[in-house]
Amino acid sequence: MKTRRVSGAESGHSGIDLAPMLDFVMNLLVFFIITAVFAKEVGIQVSRPGSGAGEGGKESKSMIVTIYGTGDVEIEQRIVDVRAVRANVERMHASKPENGVMVIADKSVASGLLVQVLDQIRLGGVEDISFGATK
Amino acid sequence: MSQQHAPEAEETGIDLAPMLDFTMNLLIFFLITTSFVKEAGIQVDKPIAQTAMHEESGNILIAIRQNGEVWMDRKMVDMREVRPIIERLHIERPEDSVVVIADKSAAAGMLAQVMDQVKAAGIKDVAIGATNPAGGG
Repeated sequence: MKTRRVSGAESGHSGIDLAPMLDFVMNLLVFFIITAVFAKEVGIQVSRPGSGAGEGGKESKSMIVTIYGTGDVEIEQRIVDVRAVRANVERMHASKPENGVMVIADKSVASGLLVQVLDQIRLGGVEDISFGATK
Repeated sequence: MSQQHAPEAEETGIDLAPMLDFTMNLLIFFLITTSFVKEAGIQVDKPIAQTAMHEESGNILIAIRQNGEVWMDRKMVDMREVRPIIERLHIERPEDSVVVIADKSAAAGMLAQVMDQVKAAGIKDVAIGATNPAGGG
């Protein structure tokens, strides 16, 4: 009777005990679930022009949009409404698709207005946007 | 009587191996998908842009408040500290990119300065944070 029980126990527990390993793995799993961040930040990609001489030629070909401290937006020597930026950019993009847009903002301009202008330019179909601010 | 009792007492639990397999798979999934985002630590009133897109690798966040304070990694930092901090993070994880989250009424000059600091630290991939009104953030 006693020998039968011992042999039974041996065949039942054929391998090592997995329970402690499972405990450890579960702990790791809970840690990674808690620290996982799935929310990605949303934003607009813009390039910041450098002072390098190599980029000078490219910038001179760009269309320039100026935002003044008063909130006025100027395109090609004309003051336009923020909502009209899209139409102007679309027209430029249709005639010269390879050109980018350079946005020059006064340093006191609110970021909200700046992003609105950047958004309008992107809606106009131009992805290549540089941004500079006056010193 | 005792013969029926014995096998039940020996096989005490269920087989844990399939559960362990499954758990290991989950663990590997979370290990791979985890990206340790450096949160800015404060809420700012983000500008609205219809063309705002999800930044796949945007995991260093820099916030600029209305009053010009710069926050990153849950601390308020000076403008001159931005560059060394970014440099250190860039060495640790070179594939990281930066999202600068400026308040609607923060000055564009501040934004340009922070972006210059980030660029000087060696990260070319900089985006300006915005909210998409069509949802998604």
